[in-house]
Amino acid sequence: MSSVLGPMVYGCLYCACSYQKTLSSLNFADSKTLKEEKREELFENLKVDNCIGWEVDVIDPRELSAKMLRKLKVNLNEISHNSAIGLVRRVINMGVLLTEVYVDTVGDAEKYQIKLSEIFPGVKFVVSKKADSLYPVVSGASIVAKVTRDRALRDWVPDETADNMHTNFGSGYPGDPETKAWLEHHKHSLFGFPTLVRFSWGTCTPYFKDSVEVLWEADKEDEEGSRNGNGKRQLKLSNVGFTGYKRKTEDIESSGKGRCKFFQARRLELVSSFL
Amino acid sequence: MNEETTKNAGIRGTIDLAPRDPPSISDLTDRVHLLPCSIKLDGPSEISHYFKPRDTEVVVDGLSVKEAYFRGRKLLGATVPIPEGFKGYVLDKKKLKKGKITESLEGDFGQWESRAEFGNITYWNHDTHPSADDPLLRCFHWFSVADALHKPITTEELASYSTASEKAQT
Repeated sequence: MSSVLGPMVYGCLYCACSYQKTLSSLNFADSKTLKEEKREELFENLKVDNCIGWEVDVIDPRELSAKMLRKLKVNLNEISHNSAIGLVRRVINMGVLLTEVYVDTVGDAEKYQIKLSEIFPGVKFVVSKKADSLYPVVSGASIVAKVTRDRALRDWVPDETADNMHTNFGSGYPGDPETKAWLEHHKHSLFGFPTLVRFSWGTCTPYFKDSVEVLWEADKEDEEGSRNGNGKRQLKLSNVGFTGYKRKTEDIESSGKGRCKFFQARRLELVSSFL
Repeated sequence: MNEETTKNAGIRGTIDLAPRDPPSISDLTDRVHLLPCSIKLDGPSEISHYFKPRDTEVVVDGLSVKEAYFRGRKLLGATVPIPEGFKGYVLDKKKLKKGKITESLEGDFGQWESRAEFGNITYWNHDTHPSADDPLLRCFHWFSVADALHKPITTEELASYSTASEKAQT
């Protein structure tokens, strides 16, 4: 979840209710507590198990950053909820008769449970914290997601073609020295980072300290929005230190202010001096 | 521009659009981008290594939509030609003999010359699809409005206008 590099992956696992007992004997555990080799092994095992089905939703880091930095910001909880809803819908559409769904919560568990139950009225939802260590089916899903993410990061082909780039990402988690070194090496004063990086993560902020200032109209609106008491939480998540100190609309674009409507609508300003 | 110069007496300057050195004039067609943000940098950067526009299948108002990412934001854009009869220029302060830049006095445009030309521009919106309603495309309306307002009327036009006013309008 807190990786700063690569795609974000949500996973699900499904099986017959009668298979649950067997499932608990497969030694699935919260994927974070398992060693990489163990996770890979468990993933390979469940892939060949005919009684288990699984699905993943891979969210591209570019899309992830873009959503969180949009004019109308989408927060991480919403992205995560939509991903889970998409997975449930996908499994139902495959013809699987879902009766019970276990979900690791993002945000308030009770509200999330109500939201899911409203969308899928025929399904019983159990939404809880630490579901990935409480329910084997969620543990299994977390393994599927984690392995998929790790592989995607390992095999990532960067968009960027700068000479100094390399793919020793480390785990992608901000605490990993290799990841830190990769971030430090790949920061760019104008572009920030290669698009593999989740720009909207707070972890990125210190790397942008010395970067070129870039002013966006969306940030200006954002600031105004938070002044009115809206979107406070989202601002914290997405305020990545790219924003300026003094934001002026005039800095961002011409306005045609004070001219007749024709020019205002086209933002055509009269230039009386060049610099 | 001419009209404004005469109105605001005191503002003077020249812009020399003739290629300074014809064979070496750079053609920046397909390479000029207008971004929906203000970048506080004036200088070269490794643009082509980091800025990677991609074509999408989407077409809006006849514009083929492209997408790109810049600083974590998604940009949607389109390449549009500069209207016929017009050209885009990159201007630079005219260098005097000793390599000195022309002094720009207060209320003076200074002296400028063209360093490069371009026949199209790729403009980008943050998150929203490009459309015919975008200010940049609507700016081009000014060309025909300016023509209608300022183009000298020939005697033939005047004659045909007085005889058949409707025809002259079209």
